[in-house]
Amino acid sequence: MDIILFLVIMIFLVATEMAIPFLAKRTTVFGVSIPDEYCKDATLVSYKKRYSLLVFIVGALAISLYIGWILTGNPLNETQVLVGLAIQFGILIICTALYFYFHAKTLQQKSRMKWGENEKRVKVMDLSVRSQDSMLPWYIYLLPIVVTLGVIVYTILNYSMLPEQIPVHWGPNGEPDAFTPKTYVSAISLPLVMLVIQCMFLGINETTKRSGIKLSATRPEASRIRQLTLRKYTSWFLFLVSILMTMLFSYLQLRMVHPDLGGNALSISMPFLFLIVILVSTIFYAIKVGRAGENMNLEQEPGIVDIDEDQYWIGGIFYFNKNDPSIFVEKRFGIGWTINFANPLGYLMIFGPLLLILLITILT
Amino acid sequence: MIIQIEPLSDIPIYTQITNQMIEGIARGYMKPGDSLPSVRTFAADLGVNMHTVNKSYHELEKKGIISIIPKSGAIINSPDKTEMHIKRITEEFKPVIAEALVLGWEKEQIQELVMSIMIDLKKE
Repeated sequence: MDIILFLVIMIFLVATEMAIPFLAKRTTVFGVSIPDEYCKDATLVSYKKRYSLLVFIVGALAISLYIGWILTGNPLNETQVLVGLAIQFGILIICTALYFYFHAKTLQQKSRMKWGENEKRVKVMDLSVRSQDSMLPWYIYLLPIVVTLGVIVYTILNYSMLPEQIPVHWGPNGEPDAFTPKTYVSAISLPLVMLVIQCMFLGINETTKRSGIKLSATRPEASRIRQLTLRKYTSWFLFLVSILMTMLFSYLQLRMVHPDLGGNALSISMPFLFLIVILVSTIFYAIKVGRAGENMNLEQEPGIVDIDEDQYWIGGIFYFNKNDPSIFVEKRFGIGWTINFANPLGYLMIFGPLLLILLITILT
Repeated sequence: MIIQIEPLSDIPIYTQITNQMIEGIARGYMKPGDSLPSVRTFAADLGVNMHTVNKSYHELEKKGIISIIPKSGAIINSPDKTEMHIKRITEEFKPVIAEALVLGWEKEQIQELVMSIMIDLKKE
């Protein structure tokens, strides 16, 4: 079971890495901003293809070696898991190295060709775009929070029915494999962690809503569609993850009170189903956002280009702009968001919940 | 309505924003009673400092073009023909017309220029 899970994740990882150059924002190639009229440049397209091909070769090699090793060497289960994890990290590290290589090549190509250096550099915004923003309202995220509070109250009311050893970790088959002595805190630690994550999701949704809707001066329509699609599907995706997690965690928690709840089949299939739904919706999200606005015709206004913001993007990955009040901005390489590292609130959004979860874990 | 600024230009960004807003209202893209986005939203969408947008909003308020209502945002005012604004506009016109005269423009040329700008702003 573990191995199938691992293989699914590895294949998924390689496939997404291969698709990223083609799904990322088209005016940023390997994290470098390229004026719209040059993003179909033959050299840049060949870089993208070479990146995907190299990722494919590395991935295929790693996965087939892994399968071969398991079939012939018959290693211990724990070793399989460890090596599987190491391979996943290895693939990610190689992809990052490849990214930096092509990032440097793209920068060279851009300065060699002097793209956009003689045109008027502008920034635009649309005053009416906010009325078309269709992110979910904040109170929708209260639904899973209410469920969690209910689970906490239910656990405390049935405290005497709980086992003396509280499970704190579950194996891939849905069975607990690590325990801690029963106290009021340890009994509700799982829903407490869930509560922190749900509040974080609510916070992310709200700060994303307050972050800028960034448009391109050379293709205002297409960039507007992409930004609105990204925002809408991000908030739907967050909500879906929040709901799925609530179902899984609540089920695990309630099974502590009622050990026979749902039977064996459900407890085995639930984590697996959870993973499948997340993977499928990630693909859906990536394709929906990656294709948004791409089929629009060029609406190029002559003589202007978008202002080059490369100076705010360290390595094309880390956004650091003190002037921009946005906390989240669209990634340059990849699909989704990255934080504005110049804004302390961004750190709080990400590390605050992590610290809280750590605190809960230490207390139990 | 699209606001377009040139961050590398010599004209300060807040002046560019003010001018673009005034032009947008003159062209009828925004009407009296329409509300403007909050300073934070405006700054986030354009990717500029909040102080810059704030400065522009206050400039527009001083010119009598918008009203800033604390806690609820900014709203575009109805046309205001009070003495104070007439005087201010006259004073702003004067040096430009004087400059044109010094450079040898004829009265008709100046009138023609004003007319052509008017036509440009009022066309659909």
